[in-house]
Amino acid sequence: MAWHDMLGRVKRDTGSLAALGPADEADLIARCKADERSAHDELYHRFRRQVAGNLYRVLGDRTDLDDLVQEVFVIAFRGLERFRGDARLSTWLYRICVNVALGKIRTRKRRPAAIGVADLDATSADPSLTERPETPDRTLERRQEQERVYKALELLAPKKRIVLYLHEIEGLDLKEIAYLVDSNPVTVRTRLFYARREFYRIIAGEAPTGQAAEPSIDGRSPESPVGVGSGSDGAEP
Amino acid sequence: MSTHIAAHRWADLWAGRVGDAERSVMERHAERCRACARVRAHVTRASDSFVAIRSQPAPEVPWDAIRARVHWSVSTERRAALRHRRPAYGWLLAATAAGVAVALATGTTRTAISTERPIAVRKDVAIPPAPPPAALIGLVSRASGDVMVDGVRPSDLFERALARGSLIATGDGRVDVQFGDHSAFALAPRSTIELRRFDAQTIELAVDGTVDVTVAPRGDGQRFLVDAGDHVVEVRGTQFRVTHDAGSTSVACRHGLVAVSDGTGKVEVGAARRVRVANGGSVSSEHVVALSSDEVATLAQATPLALPLWDPALAQSSAPLEIATVGRRDVRVDGVELGLAPLRVRVMPGRHTIEAADSAGRFRRAGWVDVAAPPRGERVEVPAEPPATGGITERRRQLRTRIDRPRIRRCMRSIAKAGLTGTYVEVEIAVDAQGAVGFLNVIDTDLPSATASCVREVLADVRFGAGAAATWRERVDL
Repeated sequence: MAWHDMLGRVKRDTGSLAALGPADEADLIARCKADERSAHDELYHRFRRQVAGNLYRVLGDRTDLDDLVQEVFVIAFRGLERFRGDARLSTWLYRICVNVALGKIRTRKRRPAAIGVADLDATSADPSLTERPETPDRTLERRQEQERVYKALELLAPKKRIVLYLHEIEGLDLKEIAYLVDSNPVTVRTRLFYARREFYRIIAGEAPTGQAAEPSIDGRSPESPVGVGSGSDGAEP
Repeated sequence: MSTHIAAHRWADLWAGRVGDAERSVMERHAERCRACARVRAHVTRASDSFVAIRSQPAPEVPWDAIRARVHWSVSTERRAALRHRRPAYGWLLAATAAGVAVALATGTTRTAISTERPIAVRKDVAIPPAPPPAALIGLVSRASGDVMVDGVRPSDLFERALARGSLIATGDGRVDVQFGDHSAFALAPRSTIELRRFDAQTIELAVDGTVDVTVAPRGDGQRFLVDAGDHVVEVRGTQFRVTHDAGSTSVACRHGLVAVSDGTGKVEVGAARRVRVANGGSVSSEHVVALSSDEVATLAQATPLALPLWDPALAQSSAPLEIATVGRRDVRVDGVELGLAPLRVRVMPGRHTIEAADSAGRFRRAGWVDVAAPPRGERVEVPAEPPATGGITERRRQLRTRIDRPRIRRCMRSIAKAGLTGTYVEVEIAVDAQGAVGFLNVIDTDLPSATASCVREVLADVRFGAGAAATWRERVDL
């Protein structure tokens, strides 16, 4: 799979500003590599919202978000020399975001934040979702549901959390996730299998304990996880 | 063995990753199993929220501040890397050290030699060490946008004395620093400057980006240098701009004379002339060209701001004035153009007149402000420019003809009974193209507040049709 075409789905925040053609992108990268200040500015302005949005969604809160955005761009500017152009610039930045977010999650595990997770702004969701004004009850319900999702994610190990987020929420396939987390698809598949099982068990936590007993109807093992990598993503190994 | 359905399978079902046969089995199971139905509901709700999470846009963060910090980190590393690439004289030190070691090892021989040829030292004449040159300080005279000093955004930017070793970086804004009578520099957006030497004898600034400098004529023996990569700009008394980036170094002189030198040679750049040298290239008089009138005007506009009276204790006798505007607007303080606000500027305590440019570029009085004694300073908010308007005559006619006069008379009954006549209400009103009233404010009246409020309600009930948008002031005589 060509990395150039990958991850089109995660570039929501870039808008037209970041819509660079391959030639323009190559030119921008070359100028950045030549240490041209205006090129650095352009790269920052084009991708800053995408980077902030990715970090925000992965982490579920805006604590230290500006520091993390800074970290992503510092890493990017430092590492541009080594950027070979195998992937699109946005994909490469997304990969840095994932790694920075992973580091943040690990730190947070060691030193839990005083504030709760999931302060995602419920009022600024996709316009298609807010075309009809929501009732306050529905808004509250949606916000609570998001909080529940992020609380469940918090309970997962960092690596599991990242692959689960990328697969279930961002909708990426195994190969894409493997590129982003710098792993191989088989490892990702296994990690994802356990992550999903754990995550949905937590989500269904209010159900009777006997409910989640394994094995169940599906009775599948990590070697043949249903749904993971199958269907639209076409990444079933 | 349980016959319940695992929770993640409901997620697969939600995502359409389950075949039809299995789907119907699962759904039938959920119909008769309340526990599984509940789990399904939980998982479905969570999966529904994925869509909302996925569509969350990026929150607003301080983009300029982040950019400044990124620039700071990256440029600091770049400078450090450049320093390491400079010719190393370590081998010379090593050779010297080796020589010293050898000499120490053969100390007897050396002693013998020194006995043979004693060094004459006149201990009776003590040579006083040369007094170190007086250190200079710089004070910020104007700042806009993000400014970092030594890696932090100081809250006391205007109180802070900038001395040798200070490192200043800008984000999207700029900063002006005064360091003497008619001597100041202005750091352009996304630039850094290091005060490498900053004393009465030598001022040496290392710039990465663009800096505009105004230097008063200096005394004999004083040097003013700007390091721009491999090139050094030396001046005596002048105004000039140095731009140094990864590709080239450019020096433009507005008046006076500057000398640009590097390892290969030296070239003098006179008034209204510019030299541009590619990094790695050598300076040559062939590179000197005349400035266009636009370039000269740009240089004139970028003149660093310097207070007329310089005193190193200025930080204690002056205060920052913050001018806030809606959007970016040119402002003047006491008739001096300061550029685009919002910005902060150093002023002396007392009353100052603020003017702001409208969309046509005309400066209009925005008010005055009394600046308190330092270090408090003052903040003034320039009111937003009223939106462009047209068709006032028609809108005014509509207002006058559609006022409900009987209601007005009812509002005024008590006033009329008291025998008061000739009262008025002056309102400011904005009507958009659809005829909707944007705002309606009573800005002046001689009526009691209750009566004025009653009249305002009557005016607010006037209906306008579609037409030109207009904002105007109307005096309604009652």
